[in-house]
Amino acid sequence: METIKEISILVSAAIIAALAVNYFSPAGVALVGQWDTSQGVITANEKNNIVLNDIEIGDVILAKKLYDSQKFIFVDARSRDDYDEAHIKGAVSLPVGQFDEKIEAFLEQYPPEKAIITYCSGRTCEDSHRLAQLLLALGYTEINVFIDGYPGWKAEGYPIE
Amino acid sequence: MVIRAGKRKGIQLNKPFRTFFGNHWIELAARWILGVIFIYASYNKILSPALFAKIIYGYNLFPDVFINLIAIIVPFLELFTGLALIIGFYPRSAALIVNCMLLTFITALSINLIRGHEFNCGCFSINSNGQGIFAGYLIFRDFVLLALGLYIFFYRKTRKLCILNFRLLQ
Repeated sequence: METIKEISILVSAAIIAALAVNYFSPAGVALVGQWDTSQGVITANEKNNIVLNDIEIGDVILAKKLYDSQKFIFVDARSRDDYDEAHIKGAVSLPVGQFDEKIEAFLEQYPPEKAIITYCSGRTCEDSHRLAQLLLALGYTEINVFIDGYPGWKAEGYPIE
Repeated sequence: MVIRAGKRKGIQLNKPFRTFFGNHWIELAARWILGVIFIYASYNKILSPALFAKIIYGYNLFPDVFINLIAIIVPFLELFTGLALIIGFYPRSAALIVNCMLLTFITALSINLIRGHEFNCGCFSINSNGQGIFAGYLIFRDFVLLALGLYIFFYRKTRKLCILNFRLLQ
């Protein structure tokens, strides 16, 4: 009995502290996240959530249509190594991890008037959203995220290089 | 006579073992080591619950609705039980909780090892890519910690440096 009482005290203290810290911390997350890939990119729904569902393109065929219209620049948010291995044909590499180093050259070539579609490694990867946020902050207005990313594109047999 | 001699011999054999594990400094060392490891393990997870939640998702074992709650609560459970072990606040119960957590970690790691699922363990660091570490090694490490936890749990003598007399509820 004594042990049960002690365990209850320790566990409740931990739970109360956890919920309180999570509530007040800027890094806190919602009590329930979005973990269903059929609903879009997965996310814990943190307070400064970077996953914006309204800029998501969740349909590979639509992505291909936009690709074929040639009005959009596809930007690869994955690492340079992944890009070098294979990427969507004609896509530009802008690894989100090297954003600060690479952005100047990118801006020169692709000014904020350009319409951009970012992608990374699919629905379990937030990098394309992270990149979209960074570009939006720089004044780009027409940005979409192709959430199925490189694997989804490749699975459809669409052009890669 | 013969039986008694045998008995005495048995005790004789176990004596150094018993003196060692019956020593309250050894028990204190075990508590501090396990406590520090658990506090250290909780640190990064508390700082970035969103990343930890994603790692839990990567285990591919838990229902979606619980992923965030696990990511919020487990690090604090690690922190509180770690602290409790160090300051000797209900150390036996803290060790029991730690052992339950370790058994859960071992089970989760084993399932993914058996089904060959690649994942990031998220044991201590949440940034480094744990995929390179062989799950078997992680399981072994957890068993070593579990041995420490069981020792603390089954230790029956007086414990050193404890605020044991602290009674919140009667």
